[in-house]
Amino acid sequence: MKINKELIHFNEGLDLESGSRLDSFDLMIESYGQLNEDKSNAVLICHAFSGDHHAAGLDPESGGIGWWDNIIGPDKAIDTNKYFVVCSNNLGGCSGSTGPTSINQSTGKVYGKDFPIVSVVDWVNSQKLLTDFLGITKWHFVAGGSLGGMQALQWSISFPDSLSKAGIFAAAAKSSTQNIAMNEVSRESIRKDANFFDGNYIEKNTKPRNGLKAARMLGHITYLSERHMNLKFGRKFQKADSKLSGEIDYEVENYLQYKGEKFSDSFDANSYILMTKAMDNYDASASESLEDAMSKILCRLLIIGFESDWLYPPERGKEIQLAGMKTNVNCTYVSLPGEQGHDSFLFASEKYDEIIKSFIESR
Amino acid sequence: MTISLSKIINDWIPDNSKVIDFGCGDGSLLKEFIDTKKIQGYGIEIDHKKIQECIEKGVPVIQQDIDKGIKEFESSNFDISIMASSIQCLKNPHVALRRMLKLSNKCVVTLPNLGYWRCRVDLVLGKMPVTPNLPSSWYETENLHLCTINDFEKLCSSEGFVINKKIFLSPDRAQGFLASYFPNLFATEGVYLIGRE
Repeated sequence: MKINKELIHFNEGLDLESGSRLDSFDLMIESYGQLNEDKSNAVLICHAFSGDHHAAGLDPESGGIGWWDNIIGPDKAIDTNKYFVVCSNNLGGCSGSTGPTSINQSTGKVYGKDFPIVSVVDWVNSQKLLTDFLGITKWHFVAGGSLGGMQALQWSISFPDSLSKAGIFAAAAKSSTQNIAMNEVSRESIRKDANFFDGNYIEKNTKPRNGLKAARMLGHITYLSERHMNLKFGRKFQKADSKLSGEIDYEVENYLQYKGEKFSDSFDANSYILMTKAMDNYDASASESLEDAMSKILCRLLIIGFESDWLYPPERGKEIQLAGMKTNVNCTYVSLPGEQGHDSFLFASEKYDEIIKSFIESR
Repeated sequence: MTISLSKIINDWIPDNSKVIDFGCGDGSLLKEFIDTKKIQGYGIEIDHKKIQECIEKGVPVIQQDIDKGIKEFESSNFDISIMASSIQCLKNPHVALRRMLKLSNKCVVTLPNLGYWRCRVDLVLGKMPVTPNLPSSWYETENLHLCTINDFEKLCSSEGFVINKKIFLSPDRAQGFLASYFPNLFATEGVYLIGRE
């Protein structure tokens, strides 16, 4: 599958929900498949908090496989033989789109901690500008999991005429108290890293690696289910020759150390704080009720929850469904077993694939 | 030729009404009313394959075990709820009916009649009835609470449900003379439109 990677510059800038403004910005995108003549086969993929534009295929530069490669590709649930699939790196991220590691044009310095607060609504607004840039009037399908699912929901509320179908997977209309609490623990571990320097670590040519690592380790625990962790690691001891450090006893420790280390190499700490804040602050009901907000929706919704997900459990998806039903939205709700906890939305399974396929193809 | 349920209850479903179908199967009943009557329809189904078929048709469907919750749909202001050939499979049919009449003004219920003469003959011969309407053997059936036409109507009166309309069907789902006049003995199936007092 051919990956088209492109950095798109937007001169018109963007007014953010916080009241700040970005005078111009870049979005890094990837696309797969061909846009058909009447531009009716376009699919927008929204990534979760630590994801990026690389949703599918093998990136020849990094050698990395896309985060949703299980679902997107030739003959997969989102079939790139049939659909033109686009994924953009969210504003405030650290994979090419304008974010805390970018240069602030007005000061000539790296934004760092001064990058403005961004929100799910801002991401959707920036993706709408991308939509116009690509000459697409209506997405056939906008989908994502977790924070990406929140964006798909927001798309259906913000731009009802600009999409036909939305897929909201392992997501909620707003984060729970527990979600916010978990995120705050990870932010605190970053902020209290001696190398954080109040967010100005880039100027000091360093990085709060330990904080980021601990944050990611906690994150990984919340993404997996207890059962899956038991199955995957149990209480097995890590083999001596593959231990990442002498303090490690168990396989699960080694796994978390490895994941944390890898993440702290690649991810930006200010981005981490921004992204988790965007997740915490999101509330689809905004100043009204969820029913009122959802009454604007014209597209069909497919809401999927996974039974082993305790971060955004299926009931949270059901809330969206029930609110939509009250205001006559065409919304379907499915709960799937999904062994891998919150991460289940990333993995293909026969049932998950069938449901997504049936929905995309439905008349 | 078998008459479809949509034809039988067609006059009971107002145009543009909001309808919830408990145990909606593959969604074909809702799909027909969505197309012909512009209803806002939602199906409730537990079986994955059937849910997928609903999705293919574009019929909104909610994966839900009816025994575990009808109540949560109460605030959605439905005009009509439908429970076709499922009521006898529920743990508490009378509670389900109460709840359905709480979330909608009217309720369409269809049920197999255990009083149908062939069932009685089977019982006289000392075996559990197996008929075209009750095709499964006793150990495979999902039916927990089978009843006769008379039993169901007695339940309605004791619960204070008003029977607005009723249609009795013969084996080929036609509306024959015998089934209409002596339903408890000759109807294989009863189709009811019930409401509150």
